[in-house]
Amino acid sequence: MWNEKAYKQTFRWPDGVRLPIAISVHHQSEEATCPMPDGQPDPFDYSERQYGARRGAWRLLEIMDKHGVRGTWLICGATLEKYPEVSRAVQKARHCIAGHTYAHEMMCNMPPETETALIKKTITVFEDFLGEHIRGWRTCFASHNTIDLLLEHSDLEWDGSMWNDDLPSLIEGHGREMLEIPFATYSDTALGVDITNPAFPPTRFSTWNANPPDFQLRGLKSAFDALYERGAERAVMMPLVVHDFITGRPFRSKVLDEFLAYAKQFEGVVFTGHDELARWARQSGEFGKK
Amino acid sequence: MATEIKSDTVVRWPDGVRLPVMLTFEHQAGEGAPLFAGERPNYMVGGAMQYGARRGIWNILELLEKFRVKTTFFVLGTTAEKYPDTVRAVAKVGHEIAGMGYSFASMRTASEEQERANVRRSAKVLQDVAGVQIRGWRCPDYRVSPQTLDILAEEELVWDSSFLNDDLPYLFETRAKKIVEIPFTTSTADKTYVGYPYPQRGGPDGLASVWNNELDVLYQESEKAPRLINLSLQTWATGRPANLRMLERLLERMVGHEEFRFAQCSEIADWRLNPPA
Repeated sequence: MWNEKAYKQTFRWPDGVRLPIAISVHHQSEEATCPMPDGQPDPFDYSERQYGARRGAWRLLEIMDKHGVRGTWLICGATLEKYPEVSRAVQKARHCIAGHTYAHEMMCNMPPETETALIKKTITVFEDFLGEHIRGWRTCFASHNTIDLLLEHSDLEWDGSMWNDDLPSLIEGHGREMLEIPFATYSDTALGVDITNPAFPPTRFSTWNANPPDFQLRGLKSAFDALYERGAERAVMMPLVVHDFITGRPFRSKVLDEFLAYAKQFEGVVFTGHDELARWARQSGEFGKK
Repeated sequence: MATEIKSDTVVRWPDGVRLPVMLTFEHQAGEGAPLFAGERPNYMVGGAMQYGARRGIWNILELLEKFRVKTTFFVLGTTAEKYPDTVRAVAKVGHEIAGMGYSFASMRTASEEQERANVRRSAKVLQDVAGVQIRGWRCPDYRVSPQTLDILAEEELVWDSSFLNDDLPYLFETRAKKIVEIPFTTSTADKTYVGYPYPQRGGPDGLASVWNNELDVLYQESEKAPRLINLSLQTWATGRPANLRMLERLLERMVGHEEFRFAQCSEIADWRLNPPA
């Protein structure tokens, strides 16, 4: 079991940081392929998603490099094994690297022993392929056990699996502590229409019933404008989730490109990784309701 | 089962061609519409798709003629039987005709015999109706079986376009011979944004923003590395006047500029197999 300590409403980021934007690149490629009604992977969905490691991730890396922004890459263990050259380039570009389960499992369906084994296996893959001991983690489909298992069976310093807050919180249990840095729906999937995920069979005609890019850019900018205003008075962050196989497509990559060009003009906007957010949160300290 | 040939060969286009553009039309007449429960007819989606064979394709042919653009049409076998004049008109002006199955039936779990019969029957219908020998293929539901590429190669087809995983064509080794894969994506397809009677996802204007962005990004990237524009279009979706106007605007951006080269899938496949000197 674990307890969490939420930061006070008066929590502030370090001086000069008005709005941190944490880009989370989900580098998972085909790992979350939808099953057909007979349980077999959908070849159409698989192929659409496989674009992520073959092309999309490289394009996202280039765009982040072009704008000089650092972010967090959440990488599935299986994706790292199959396409190590992508993760090596991510490492070389000094982005924050974190684990994203082994094969994008729906941990909510898994017994704790299986989930534990997958967490350990994934951490080992990063050591074997990148020589890196990861410090962070995200499970998109967490179980009731996820936080406990991460505390008990890893030395991860932060987790980003929860969807429930604007601010980090400190989690204590199993004789140690860990920061929870939640994410939110400022993401390419949230700006879609009917996004398939491995919980459901694919739609009949299209894996990605997406909104067009002009809509997506408007959505991102309006969310940013509101968060930037709020950032003057209260601490808030913008967790910007993009997937290699969604935003990595040429026409959607331009949305990210244009959004970055827009957001970085504003004073006090800082693009950063979850490792730095965790450091800032630890330094800030005051817990409590108000 | 076919395996991809991993290669460091840089894809090359002919001199002067910076960015090849393919408009790949899929031509069906409602066979792909889901029936209502109990096999009851669906005149809503079915009818919206039938539009392509009745009216859309003629609108499209006029537009392509106006811009003197030659491209590739995937034609369903039953549609060729029901609307043979549309297919003959496509062939007559020199567009490429390729196969997409006899009926809309998925081959994902079909036996090898069923799948081979489907390819042969498709090829024969298109030969009988339009006098063409198909060289390429796209699965109607984009869902290959483990043996699809082997069968296509054994049936003397040169290329396939059922995968969605890359920006550039690549090669598969099959039981018979090499086959070229020319990937596309439904992410930039007309039907994803303006497909059905409802809902529309952004309307014609949203679709235009997809295509314009795609062109902007790929054009820019093609300065440094080979790129290819491959749009999947339905005669029943882009064939509608409001959507067709969006295609016309896109063509206006490209036609007349030598850097863009409108290509048929077979040309791309030939360039991939035998890179231009």
